[in-house]
Amino acid sequence: MIAMDIKQRIKEQVTAHPVVLYMKGTPQFPQCGFSALALQVLDACGVQDLFTVNVLADADIRQGIKEYANWPTIPQLYVKGEFVGGSDIMREMYQSGELQRLIQEAKQQA
Amino acid sequence: MVTPESVKTGIAAGLACEHVEVVGDGQHFQALIVSGEFAGRSRVQRHQLVYAALGERMREEIHALSMRTLTPEEWKSGG
Repeated sequence: MIAMDIKQRIKEQVTAHPVVLYMKGTPQFPQCGFSALALQVLDACGVQDLFTVNVLADADIRQGIKEYANWPTIPQLYVKGEFVGGSDIMREMYQSGELQRLIQEAKQQA
Repeated sequence: MVTPESVKTGIAAGLACEHVEVVGDGQHFQALIVSGEFAGRSRVQRHQLVYAALGERMREEIHALSMRTLTPEEWKSGG
């Protein structure tokens, strides 16, 4: 089970910033192709104030985030505190225009 | 080493599928999954169904699974 304090930390992270990406590595040095793809998609959507969390630098978060959203893989995107999906879903939503709309709405409400 | 065939078998064993295709190199896999169970479910919920079908294998054996999840109707209309 996910420890309450880890869950609380994740909840604070995803609600404190409009767009949060849990990824392997950093935007400058992504350490996994799927995390790199996720960054490219967000960049294409015009996200400027992206907050990223490097799960490789925090073992508790790396494990906790998988249980938080009942999602076993990284990257994970959150918009306005809500889990949106992993890199496949991000790419599909970008191709259909849904992700751009979601990001735009988050920007306007921020 | 995990084969695409064993990933396919694992998905089909845990989820009623009309069609499953899996390709991959032993660590990274790409799957097309067609199931009536996906009807009325969001993308996230569809992927969660597949992850649940694979269970612990998803944590321990499979590094990455990229997937397209379609209902039979979506598949017929070209996905």
